[in-house]
Amino acid sequence: MAINLSFILEKAGSVKYEDRPVPKLESPYDVLVNVRFTGICGSDVHYWQHGSIGSFVLKAPMVLGHESSGVITAVGDKVSTVKVGDRVAMEPGIPCRRCVRCKEGKYNLCVDMRFAATPPIDGTLAKYYSLPEDFCYKLPESVSLEEGAVMEPLAVGVHITRQADVKPGQSVVVFGAGPVGLLCCAVAKAYGADKIVAVDINEERLKFAKQYAATHTVVSQRESATDSAARITKDADLGLGADVAIDASGAEPCIQAGIQVLRTGGTYVQGGMGKSDITFPIGAMGAKELNVKGSFRYNSGDYATAVALVTSGRVSVKELITGKFKFKDAESAFNDTKAAKGIKILIEGVEDEA
Amino acid sequence: MSDQEQDKLKQNPSFVLRAIKDVAFEDRPVPKLRDDHDVRVHIAQTGICGSDVHYWQKGRIGDFILESPIVLGHESAGTVVEVGSAVKYVKVGDRVAVEPGVPCRPDTIFAATPPWDGTLSKYYIVAADYTYRLPDHVSMEQGALVEPVAVAVQITKVANIRAGQTVVVFGCGPIGALCQAVAKAYGATKVIGVDVVQSRLDFAKSFGADGVFMSSRAEAGVDAVEHSENVAALIAKKFNLGDGADVVLECSGAEPCIQAGVFVTKKGGTYVQAGMGKENVLFPITTACIRALNIKGSIRYTTGCYPAAVDLVASGKIDVNRLITNRFKFEQAEEAFELVKAGRSDVLKVIIEGVQ
Repeated sequence: MAINLSFILEKAGSVKYEDRPVPKLESPYDVLVNVRFTGICGSDVHYWQHGSIGSFVLKAPMVLGHESSGVITAVGDKVSTVKVGDRVAMEPGIPCRRCVRCKEGKYNLCVDMRFAATPPIDGTLAKYYSLPEDFCYKLPESVSLEEGAVMEPLAVGVHITRQADVKPGQSVVVFGAGPVGLLCCAVAKAYGADKIVAVDINEERLKFAKQYAATHTVVSQRESATDSAARITKDADLGLGADVAIDASGAEPCIQAGIQVLRTGGTYVQGGMGKSDITFPIGAMGAKELNVKGSFRYNSGDYATAVALVTSGRVSVKELITGKFKFKDAESAFNDTKAAKGIKILIEGVEDEA
Repeated sequence: MSDQEQDKLKQNPSFVLRAIKDVAFEDRPVPKLRDDHDVRVHIAQTGICGSDVHYWQKGRIGDFILESPIVLGHESAGTVVEVGSAVKYVKVGDRVAVEPGVPCRPDTIFAATPPWDGTLSKYYIVAADYTYRLPDHVSMEQGALVEPVAVAVQITKVANIRAGQTVVVFGCGPIGALCQAVAKAYGATKVIGVDVVQSRLDFAKSFGADGVFMSSRAEAGVDAVEHSENVAALIAKKFNLGDGADVVLECSGAEPCIQAGVFVTKKGGTYVQAGMGKENVLFPITTACIRALNIKGSIRYTTGCYPAAVDLVASGKIDVNRLITNRFKFEQAEEAFELVKAGRSDVLKVIIEGVQ
């Protein structure tokens, strides 16, 4: 019987199951978690299909997965904030805590970040995973472990919305109604945005967005960016333009439309990842004096905010979970995610054999 | 055995605060690196701060209470003599300024804040990323002054001082004088120093201030707050500050200065509390409200302050040598502390040489 069954990417296109040693606690501040649910992200699918993202190249077999929740089964000697038996959301990126970026409070930009399932760091699709206590967030009884696995993309949505500095009363256009786009809509709503416009090519996802958190939806069409912006502005009655535009699609036409749909002085945040180099309306950006920012993962306080938003009921994530697969069917889960079936698909943790 | 031979047997001579007002020299073991990221520094020079004197005399500052002996000192520079295996950017022989406060690794340690030992020993252990290389032309004495410069940099950062602004600084001791100099270096147009001691004002005028103001104490029978308001009005008038200064840096901790500081900040301006005196003061809170002031506290330093401080010293923008008024050998450490305690107006920064 395996002691720590793990789901591994051997090389692009090839996954397998393997038993690995149970991780040791490297520091007295570390904990061991029995992983119970893991969501799949576009980046997981991308590594599976292509074996690399940018300069991160798979050179040796690596455990997949990074959007997880679980139950603590062991704690180091100096752990004081969590205990064995606690149900936690797991923040999968551990920064060095020594570099300038970490000390500035922007640990998502850490020079030596160790991020689960970004090569060469093993991910969370195993029976056990170890991490520092301060990267575990206790889930109250009212929040399920399934919801706990959605905290990671929610933290991404929180970070993007914070980068955009969404304030009460503002209008926000979100391009892309996948999990991250939808969560940005939900967080923008929680932060008091008055108008939240979801834009996508997929009408099913837009229908969902309208029931979920968006106040308006617009179906993308083949048209110029300025025409698209004009149509969005008219349909959602945005007046001089949107206060905030968030791209959660990575698609070039959306990025261009995002710049065009903003009012003068508005804010644009790039969350989505698509083509690395695109044609960008830099003239409009300059002349309208826009604030343009990137957004990458999450940093100080975002995970805690995600848990607080779900606990208080300001954001609901249950309805985003559209599929659950057993650990032994993990590859099917990856296939469904790749085919964009549903919204968020979870893989259950390793079951103890009877 | 001769004194010299006896000295050679000493491993790590240290200046220890054993109990309130009770200091002594002790030989301690040479400290070991705690992990792969640490370095050991042979301390060359250490400046004395008001807080060091306060722990010596009173045994506590706020919740930090002396419960067991600690080595004193935290404003130091020295030479790296040993590096941990994971240390990348620091090497043996590097001359460095030492940042004495290291957070969360896992405890927050501040040298010479109980219960943590300070830097007045032959050797001190610190995480490598809390040391900052001094260019060759910067002396160890200047290196020891980097810490108070970093404090002034942080105060200026918190105040968000911008080119073209007017700044009034209450207190012309080392911190006040350095704040004036840093404010000028960062582009403030008009920097005014305020104090009650003429020699301090004279120094400030020659160091970083564009103008100085001799403040006065309220006479008997005069309402203290009203007096502070008058002082503020006099400062604003004398230096053509109009509605008030863009920024006020309070570096004295004295209640009348805190009050005057609030009154002399323009509407919408920024007031920063850096000085530490009485813990609770009579504060003109309605004035703060009506004038929509931004009021902030400033403590120690944050990321980037130390590199900025080294740069200010190395580039010559701030001549810290002029702040050093007294030098002592390690064996005279107690005398050095007594001098700082005496609070003489001709004494600014006192430094203690390291163990040779």
